[in-house]
Amino acid sequence: MNNNQYIYQAMFLLDNGEVREQGFNAMREWVKSTLEKHGATVKVLRLWGERPLAYPIGGRARATYLLGWIEGTEKTVSKAKHEMYLLGPVFRNMFLKEEEIPADELELGIEVMKDEDVKALDDTPIVESLFEEEEEEAEYKPAPEGEETKAAPEGEAKKAEGDASAETSSTEAEAAKPVEAAAATTKTEEA
Amino acid sequence: MTEETIKAPAKFDFKDTETLLRYLDSQGKLYSAKRTGLSSRQQRQLKRAVKYARTLALLPYAG
Repeated sequence: MNNNQYIYQAMFLLDNGEVREQGFNAMREWVKSTLEKHGATVKVLRLWGERPLAYPIGGRARATYLLGWIEGTEKTVSKAKHEMYLLGPVFRNMFLKEEEIPADELELGIEVMKDEDVKALDDTPIVESLFEEEEEEAEYKPAPEGEETKAAPEGEAKKAEGDASAETSSTEAEAAKPVEAAAATTKTEEA
Repeated sequence: MTEETIKAPAKFDFKDTETLLRYLDSQGKLYSAKRTGLSSRQQRQLKRAVKYARTLALLPYAG
């Protein structure tokens, strides 16, 4: 791992529950201090949006996205990632190497926002509905399926046997018919 | 080609989900280069942008 300085574009997904409880600015400060603690220089760190996730992550359906542009080595990024994985409100992050920071992003810098302006919506109802589905599945699972699966082959076997016996009896009956007819003709001839 | 090809941006950005969605089908699968009409370099850039967006839950995984 080399010690060259690179520019990174970073995106952090913050837990909406913690953003509501502690406020957006406190969360952003935590991310900033974590990055700076490991030797990265934070050029830009701003709210990118609060939006629903395309798929649930750890029972969450929504997240607050934080966009950052930082300067640091691969080692600092790796350490910061590790700390964020273990601690704090960031449940997913991504760092991408870039050539330069766009001018419009640099103008924004470390954006100051009021906590009230960041509306981190509650996503608990969707989590509850997920659990309800699981419970329904769990209730549905026991006995009936096993019985059906066992009963089905037996029934089929019986049916198959029944069909086979019916076929044999019909063939026997068909075979017997000409014999009876032949016996009747011989009787008439004798008479 | 009978189908109209979409005008590609200069650079694919993983944050621009509206643009990326135009290159995905209803299942979330990426269209082939034959269908998108992109060059191989652009197709690779698009592929990377879609993968980054999926990692950040901006786009769904195919399925």
